[in-house]
Amino acid sequence: MSAEKMGTVEYIQHHLTNNTIGEGFWTFNMDTIIVSFLLGALIVFVAARLGKQLDTGTPGGFQNFVESILDFVATNVRDAFPGHNPLIAPLALTIFVWVWLMNFMDLIPVDLLPWLFQLITGDSHAYLKVVPTTDLNTTLAMAFTVFALILYYNIKIKGVVGFIKMFLFHPFGKFFIPVNVVMTLIEEVSKPLSLALRLFGNMFAGELVFLLIALIGGTLAVGAAALFWAPLQVLLDFGWLIFHLLVITLQAFIFMVLTIVYLGMAHDEGH
Amino acid sequence: MSDSPTPQNDEHKHKAPGAAANYLMLSAGSIFTSMLVAGFLVGYFLDSLFDTRPILMLACGLLGFIGGIQKVIRITQRLDHYDPKSGKDV
Repeated sequence: MSAEKMGTVEYIQHHLTNNTIGEGFWTFNMDTIIVSFLLGALIVFVAARLGKQLDTGTPGGFQNFVESILDFVATNVRDAFPGHNPLIAPLALTIFVWVWLMNFMDLIPVDLLPWLFQLITGDSHAYLKVVPTTDLNTTLAMAFTVFALILYYNIKIKGVVGFIKMFLFHPFGKFFIPVNVVMTLIEEVSKPLSLALRLFGNMFAGELVFLLIALIGGTLAVGAAALFWAPLQVLLDFGWLIFHLLVITLQAFIFMVLTIVYLGMAHDEGH
Repeated sequence: MSDSPTPQNDEHKHKAPGAAANYLMLSAGSIFTSMLVAGFLVGYFLDSLFDTRPILMLACGLLGFIGGIQKVIRITQRLDHYDPKSGKDV
C-alpha cells in the first residue's frame, strides 16, 4: 500500500510485517519462504541451463561473467581455507550468490511488489515483505546451518576428545576449567549469532532507509510541493541505491568469507 | 580465542593470510555484540537448568563482555603487525 493512503508509522509497519500462516511457534513467514525458494530455484535453473551450453572455445558474455564469479569464490577459498575439502567451494558459492540475490530484492522499489500482490489477491491490506534477509528467521537459519557444519567438522577432524579439550583448556589454561567451558560455549554461540545479526541488521536498516525515502514522495509531495519533493525522492533513492548495491555485495561476501574462515578453523587440528 | 587468527596464536597465518583476518576485523563490532548477547543467552540457559536466575545470566553476560573485548583486541592487534609497504605481516 502506498504512503499517501496511510500514516507514516502505519506505512512502515505495514512494509515490515510478514505475510504469515500459522500461530505461535509454528508461524510460517510465507513471503520469506517463497521468495527465498524462488531465488534458489533461479540459481539452479540458470546454472543448469548454462551447464548445458558451456562453450570451451569462445565463451559468451554470461558464461564469462559466471566464470569470473567462480574464480573469485575459488580464490577466496584458497586464501582463507587451509587444507582441502570439496564441500567448501560449492557451499561458499551457493551462500554468496543466494545471499546476494536475496539482498538484491531490497533494490526493487519498495511499493512495487506489495502493490502487485495486493492487486492480484484483491486484498488492499495484504502483507508482503519481499527481502528474505530482512527476516531474522532467514539469516539465523543460514547461520545455524553453517554452525552445524562447524560442529560436524570440529568433531570429525579433532575427534570427540579433541573437541572436549577445546572446551576444557581454552582460553585460560587447565586451572580455570569451569570458566573455560562457559567462555568457549559463549564463543561458539556467538559465531552464528554474529553471522546472522550482521546480515539482518544491515539489510533491515537498508530497507528502512528506502522506506523513509519513499515517504518523502508519499507524504510531502502534495500538489505543487511535488515539484520539489518528487525529484528529491528520486535523487535520494538513486544515491542510496548505488550505496546499497555495495552494501548488499559486501554483506553477501562477508557472510561467505566468514563461513569459510569458521569452517577453516574447524579443520585446524592444532587449534 | 577460537576464531581469531592473531599473530600470537595462529599457526596457519601464512596458509590463511591477510584477507580472511581483515574481514574478521571488519566485523569486530558485531562479534563484540554477539559475544555479549551469547553470554546472556548461555547464562539464561544455565539459569533455567540450575534454577539460579538471575545469577548465572549476569555472570555469563559479564564473561561475554570480557570475552568480547578480548576478542576485538586480538582481532585488531593484527594491524600492529601489518606492513602497508609490503602488504604482509611482519
